[in-house]
Formats: sequence, structure tokens, C-alpha cells
Amino acid sequence: MATSVLKLNPFILNPCGETFILEIMAAKTRQNGQKSNPWQTDEVQAAIDYGIDVSMLMANIGRTPTERIIRHQIALNTAEKLRKARHL
Amino acid sequence: MKAGVDFVIVGGFAGVVQGCTYVTQDIDLCCDFTPSNLLAMQKAISDLHPVHQMTAGRKKLELTETTCRQLKNLHLDTDIGQLDCLNFIDGLGDYQKVKRASELIEVEGMQLRVLGLDSLIEAKKAMNRPRDKEAIVQLEAIKRLKSQKN
Repeated sequence: MATSVLKLNPFILNPCGETFILEIMAAKTRQNGQKSNPWQTDEVQAAIDYGIDVSMLMANIGRTPTERIIRHQIALNTAEKLRKARHL
Repeated sequence: MKAGVDFVIVGGFAGVVQGCTYVTQDIDLCCDFTPSNLLAMQKAISDLHPVHQMTAGRKKLELTETTCRQLKNLHLDTDIGQLDCLNFIDGLGDYQKVKRASELIEVEGMQLRVLGLDSLIEAKKAMNRPRDKEAIVQLEAIKRLKSQKN
């Protein structure tokens, strides 16, 4: 019981409690970040920062080149329809 | 390809084949600019009614051996969109160098030559155009995601 209290409340272990808790929280956040984003790298982060939907890139990588071309053609046709509609 | 035309898909469309999510309206090809290859290409796309983009009155594509020897690039409009044929790619070089930097990719049962990811990034960087920035960012992310997937 005493052990679990100590684990849950690191404040007890450190006289400068607040800083210690914040350090633990920051470490946990970093750890969680690494766990939830195994793909995270400089290049991927750069794409996210640029505003690119990386989940769409990942989905596209899982497709065959033929499927990518078909999807591109659908997107191009849609863009063309929208462009024409603007001039109606 | 079936007509025996030597070309490599480059530019934005090569990016699409490699996995980019943007939309591009034209197709850029790096071609062998020998008269025999250009004449074979002319024959292969004749039913698409190709015309020169950059001539007054949109002149019909009518290549001869003599005119082929004078060409460096061909910018065409066809029934299915713009087709740009280039004999040199910035950052990579002439057709033979581009061909060496390409990979064979199967599309609907056809083996097409498409510029590889690294070379595509290199070429886009060499162009140094603001509009290529997004393509470079996407291509570099794709390269990393693919390497992690493998």
C-alpha cells in the first residue's frame, strides 16, 4: 500500500515537489507522444507543419500506382467540374 | 510504351504515381529526342489531336525528321490535357541520365518508367520554384514513411 502511494504521489519523494511533478508530466507527455506517433520524424513533422494531411499520404502509400492514378483522376475531374461551375 | 516510344514520366504526375496527394493538370515526360522516337510518339498520340501550345493558332503537331532535329522541348495540348516532352531535366541531366534514375512501375498491366523518389526530389529542388515547395515536402515525407514501412 505504502509503495503504491509513493508511486502515485512523487511529491512526497521530493522537497521541491512542484518542479518534480512537472518534470514527470513532461517526460510522460514525451513518452506518450512517441507511443502514439511511431511514424514521427523530421520529414513527416515538416509535412504536418506545412499543412499536409499525412494520414492521406500514408493511405496513398498503401495503394498501388494504378489506384493512385485513378484517385488522382477523380480529384482532377471534381476540380474541373468546380472550376466550370464557377463560370456558370 | 506499346508503340515503342522511349520516355520517363517526370514532374508532378510522377509525384502522384509515387504517392503525392496533390492534383496536377499536365503530364511531363522526359523523352529520347531522336527523330525516330519523336516520330513514334507522334504516331502514338495522333488520335489525341495534339497541337503546339506555344504557337499562334495552335499549330497541329506535324513532325518530320528535319524538324525533330531542331527540337529541344515539345509543349503540346491534347484532347486529354497538356503533354510536355522534355529532353533535359534540371538537376538530373539528359534522357539517358533520367532513364537511369527511373524505376519500372506497373500500371494496368503496362510497365511504365517513372522517375524515382530521390531523383524526383533532386529535380524539384533544382527547379527551385515556390510552387514546388509542397511537392518536395510531400515527397520527402513519403520517402521517410516508405522506408519506415519497409
